[in-house]
This record gives sequence, C-alpha cells and structure tokens, in this order.
Amino acid sequence: MKLNIIKQRGLWWTISGAIILSGLIAMTISWTNPEIGAPLRPSLDFVGGTRIQLELDCSKPGNCKPIDPAAVRQVVESQGLTNSSIQVVTTKDTRQPYAVSIRTKTLDAAAQSQLEKALNEKIGVFDPKKNEINTVGPTLGQEIFTKGLLALLVSFGGILVYLTFRFQFDYAFFAFVALFHDVFITAGIFSILGLVWGVEADSLFLVALLTIIGFSVNDTVVIYDRVREVLKLHPEMHINQIVDDAVNQTLTRSINTTLTTLLTLVSIFLFGGDSLKYFSLALIIGFIAGAYSSIFIASTLLAWWRERSGRARQVVPQPQASDEA
Amino acid sequence: MQRQRWTLLLILLLVAASIAIFWFKPLKLGLDLQGGSQLTIQVKTTDKVKEITPEKLEGVKTVIEGRVNALGVSEAVVQNVGNDKILVQLPGVNDPKEARAVLGGTAQLDFRQELDKPEIKVQSEVRRTELELLKQKQKQLETAGDRDAIAANQAQIDQKEKQVQELLSQLYKPTELTGQNLEGASYGPAQVGTNWTVFLRFNQQGGKQFAELTKSIAGTGRTLGIFLDNQLISAATVDAEYAATGIAGGNAEINGNFTLERAKELALQLEGGALPLPVSVEEVRTVGATLGQDSIQSSIYAGIGGLILVLIFMAVYYRLPGVIADVALIIYALLSWATFALLDVVLTLPGIAGFILSIGMAVDANVLIFERTREELREGKTLYRSVESGFYRAFSSILDGNVTTVIACLALFWLGSGLVKGFALTLGLGVAISMFTALSCTRTFLLLLVLGVPKLRQRPDLFCPNLPDATKSRAEAG
Repeated sequence: MKLNIIKQRGLWWTISGAIILSGLIAMTISWTNPEIGAPLRPSLDFVGGTRIQLELDCSKPGNCKPIDPAAVRQVVESQGLTNSSIQVVTTKDTRQPYAVSIRTKTLDAAAQSQLEKALNEKIGVFDPKKNEINTVGPTLGQEIFTKGLLALLVSFGGILVYLTFRFQFDYAFFAFVALFHDVFITAGIFSILGLVWGVEADSLFLVALLTIIGFSVNDTVVIYDRVREVLKLHPEMHINQIVDDAVNQTLTRSINTTLTTLLTLVSIFLFGGDSLKYFSLALIIGFIAGAYSSIFIASTLLAWWRERSGRARQVVPQPQASDEA
Repeated sequence: MQRQRWTLLLILLLVAASIAIFWFKPLKLGLDLQGGSQLTIQVKTTDKVKEITPEKLEGVKTVIEGRVNALGVSEAVVQNVGNDKILVQLPGVNDPKEARAVLGGTAQLDFRQELDKPEIKVQSEVRRTELELLKQKQKQLETAGDRDAIAANQAQIDQKEKQVQELLSQLYKPTELTGQNLEGASYGPAQVGTNWTVFLRFNQQGGKQFAELTKSIAGTGRTLGIFLDNQLISAATVDAEYAATGIAGGNAEINGNFTLERAKELALQLEGGALPLPVSVEEVRTVGATLGQDSIQSSIYAGIGGLILVLIFMAVYYRLPGVIADVALIIYALLSWATFALLDVVLTLPGIAGFILSIGMAVDANVLIFERTREELREGKTLYRSVESGFYRAFSSILDGNVTTVIACLALFWLGSGLVKGFALTLGLGVAISMFTALSCTRTFLLLLVLGVPKLRQRPDLFCPNLPDATKSRAEAG
C-alpha cells in the first residue's frame, strides 16, 4: 500500500476543514442556546450545582417499578427547585428504568436531605449503597475550569518548546497545528453530542483532551523523525518526495499503534463503568483524529511550508545540484 | 551475551520483587471505587484575617481533624489542598449530610455579659420578634414558590438581622470566656419540653471564669448571652442564690430550643473545637459502595479484555518478537502495579484509565522497534544487525513520543484536581516504566534468543513474513 499524501492534500485538508466547520457551527448553536450558554454543555464540575443519582432498592418486594420522570419532576419542583434537569436512567444490572438522575442548583445539606426524603416518600425506597451525589460550589467549579484550561495551555507550551529544541521551529509549529486540530475536532464532536444527547463536558473530558495531545504529538513526532532521517540520507530530494516516503514507511506503525490503543478503548467504552464511557469516547475520537492529522495534515503542511518558503530542497554542496533547482 | 545475562537477572529480580510487593501491599482504592464521600472545604478570610497563612490553614485542619474523629469514621483522610482548601475523605459514608453540617460550621462560641441598658434591651427584643415573624413568612412563601416575593422578603430579613446585630453588640460586652475554655461537650434531652440541650464542660480556667461571670450578674436580672458565630443562641438569667459564689463546678448547659440533629451537630462541633476562620463546604462527592464496586469490576474486565486482544494481535502480527513483546508487556504491568503500591498511589477510576493508556504507549514502543527491524531485514541485513538497528533507530521516536506525553502529565499533575492527578500520575509513571521494559526487557529477550539459539538465525521468517528469497538467503548467511 502506498498513499499519495502530497498529491491529494487538497482532499485531506477539505475533510478536516469540513469536520472542524461542523464542530464550529455546533459550538455556536450551543453557545447561543440559553439553556447551555457555552460552546460545550458544561457539567457541574465547571459551573457548580448538585447532581443526585438514586437507584430503587429492588430487594424490597414491589418497590421496583419504572420511574416516571413527570412524577419526579413534581417532587423536585415542590421543593422550590425549578429549572432542574431530570433523567430516568436504566440500571447497570437489571437494565430497567429504576434509577433517576437529578441536576439542580447547588444544594446545601439540609435542602439535599429534604429532597431525598421527599423522593423516598413519593417515588419509592432508594438504595443508599447505590447512590451517587455530587455537589460543587460555583466558585470551585470556576477554579477547576480555569486550572484545567491552564493545564491545557501549559502542556501546549511545553510541547512546543520541546519540539523546537529537538527539531526545528516549523516542525514544532505544524505539530502544534495538528494537535490543535485534534483537540478541536474532539471538542466539536462533543459539542454536537451535547446538543443531540445532552452529553456533558466534565473534568474527565479535559483529561481526555490532554491525553489526546500527548498521543497525537507522539504520532506526529514519529513521522517527523522519519522525515528528518530521510532528509539526512537524501539531502538532494524534494521535500514532497521525502514527506511521501516518510509517511509511507511509518504507515504500518501508525495504523498498528492506533489500532491496538483503540482495542482497549473500545472495550472500555462498550463494557466499562458508566463514568468512563464518555471519557473513552473522547479518547477514541481524539486518537483517530490524531492518527489522521499526523499522517495527512502535519506532514502535508510541513511540505507545503518548506516549498513555499523556498526550502523545498536542502542546499547540496555539489555545484551541479543547482541545475536542478 | 554477558551483558544480556546480567540484564535478564535484574529483570527476574524485579519481577520477583514486584510479585512480593503485590502480595504484601495491596493497592489503595480511591473513594470512587470503594464508595464513600469526599468533601472539599474552602477556608475563607474575614475582615480581621485578610490572608490565610499556612499556620492558619494548619489550625483549621487540626480542628477539622478533631471533628472528623468525633464523627467516628474509620480511615478518614484530612489533607490540605492548595493554600486555602481542605479535603476530607470519608470512606464508606454513603450519606454525608451529618458530616457536611458538622464540618461546615465555624462554631465560635463565646459568652457575653449584658450591660445595664434597658432601652436597648427593649428595642432588641422588639426587633427580634419582628425578625422571627419575617422568617416564618419566608417559610410560607417558599412553599408557595413566588420567587419575587421570596427575594423581597429575604432582603427585609437581611436588613432586620443587621439591626439586631447592631443592637446586640451595644447590649452585650464580650468576656474572656470562649469555646477555647471548653473541655468537652455533649447533648441530651432538655428537662422541660421536647427540645434538646447541649451540655458544656469547662476546663479549670473556664470553670473559674464562668463562676465569676455568673456571680457578677446573679440576681440583677441582666442576662448572660451565649453567642455562636456572633448569633445569640441563648440568654440566661442567674438566680440571686448564686450571688455569693457564682455557678461553680465547671458545667453549663445551653437551652437554645435545639432539635435533636442541631444539638448533636453543635456538641460535635464544640467537642472538636472552634474553627479559627469561617469555612464553607464547596464540593461534596458521594459514591455508593455497591456502585463503586460495579464500576471497578466492569472497567477492569473491559480493560483486561481489551489487553488480551492486544496481546493476541501482537503475537499474530509480529510473530516471535510479538510473543516476546507480550511477555515484556506482562512484566510491565507487574512492575507498574508494584510501583503504584510502593508509592502509595491511590487507585481511582481515571487512574485505571491512565494505566490502561500507558499500556498503549508500551505497545507503541514495541511496534516502532519491530517495524524498524522488519525494514532492516527487507533491506537484506542479518537478523542480529536488524534487531540491533531496529532498537537503535526507533529510540529517538520512542523518546520524543514519551517525553511529550510526560509533559502533558506534568501539566495535569501540577494543576489538576484530585481525580485528574490520579490519572496523570499513573499515566506518567506508566510511560516511564514502559520505556524501561520496551528498551531493556524486549531487547534482552530478543538478543538472548538470536545470539543463544543458532537455529533461529536461519529462520528470519519468524520475524518478518514474505521476505524476498534473495534477502532471505543473505540473512541466513549472516
């Protein structure tokens, strides 16, 4: 198998552009949506609030019947908690709608226990061993968000400096473009998921983005490493040819590595715990985008830049080499 | 050969040590896996204390530790986070309501003496009755759910509270007797009515001060004000019979119309001591024990299932080196789990994810090396030289890839919160260990086989299928 990377670069760029554009559109829609008000649907990790997830205790006879969201809403609103989101969830073991997830503004201890008591009276007895209750104050949410974003920027910076030091600035810059591409595509797809299915971006999502950065740069670096090596062996070759060769020589590795990583991630996505579901999905999207951008974007951009800036060929000491140029 | 033997010995020793660590020191599970509650407590500044110094934070932590102990949760963890937060972990607590109420209150108790100002006393009583009425109205409004009316009434309440505070500060004079003079506190039913009472036990100095204080106001009709966090919770008169000696014996009780819960909370807070600074519980995360077990099981099974697929893939695709890489990967998994146990890494769900991803990095290093070896073989090099240059040439890619991942991990570890830190730690450690196993284990095993089993040198097809015949014969000759 031999890919014509350079020749078809218009196609690769168009594909990426289209995905990024649709992500941008989704972000704009969700930003203007008063219910969301941000490019991605933020979880309570970032904006604060209380989420209570309760599961009916099925060891009590006659206690387990499918939960009616309207009944839950009535209970919640009787506590003066308007604007809450209520979702009936299927349980892990029985696969029946016996669990409910409620997200409200930040509740203090008294309000929370009052709500739980009301739910236990009106809806059914819940198993305290299976509940999950999270409360984040608004200021702390803000802090988690800024710190996460800062971590993202710091690692961007650190990677840029390291690659400039190990390669050259233009390599580093395009590796940077490629990883920005991956982060953007993942965020865009999650914005779409947030609009369609209400998928939220939480602090694990930020972790996923950082992991994607690490892996995507890894992919890009392997190809750049090869470009540098081919360049050293054949300084007289045109950059387009060098990049084509480098990408093709490392293609099996790029595919195999992505494939093996995806094997575990897909199995976690399908069979793992609920809290890791969207985390692994974000990684799956990001790693595929990462492999794609390393093979098709970072490489072609580097070749394009070198050609444009008149460095398509390394300077060759022999005078006859100038005839070619 | 000699060098490889030594490395092999080292690897075997490490593996044996890991198994031993594994056996004797099980990994600690995070709250999201074993079930429990986690509270993040924000320490706040006041008008008097504008900055939270490390000593102040330490003081708050000590008090919180005292209260956590009073709650009676086993293996609870209290630790500082950043400059102004304290993290409390309560394993096995499914319902943190009580903990939240007990840990969240400042509980600054002090006793104040009433001054002889009858006019102000009357005023303050009128204002307090008005305030009570407003509060009752607020409850009615809340059940009705009219938001504008609730807000308007709240504003009135706030204003009224300010007036009451102002009057009370004129009426009462602070004394030296505070919560610091307490030896202990408990609660019990009140002698009259259905309410509950908090009992105080003073230390020696406190007992003396209390006696003097009660002596000075006995029989005057003036009251002793008991203030909690600047709110008057009880105002008691002292009978004339104590005018000579005061109330001696070092015991007192607060009859503040408490419910059972409130009396219990207050007793626990007083027992643990007053907080030097106000705090608020900013974050509460609770995971039920069964839920935690469910998620750990399914995630671990899923991870192991995925890994087995990876091992099969490596063996089928890369043949003999693939099998060796599989062995190295298993060693890698052992070594990293032992390292986690040694470093007391608390395993959380994101932590497991980080570990599984680090296995991905470990596989990648092997893939890079074997692809390189195959290329060298196809170019007609001998098996030994192909293997050696495969390692040599793949090294810079492996290094760059891992360093960039470690940079991302450092950023996460440095800036992230609890869960994020766990992820960064396992991934970062995993990447570092994977460098070692890929570069030393896989390499040593391969070289030992290539050098030690002569027959193997005639079978380069075990390393790379479909080699062209010409290169194959050359490879055999080497």
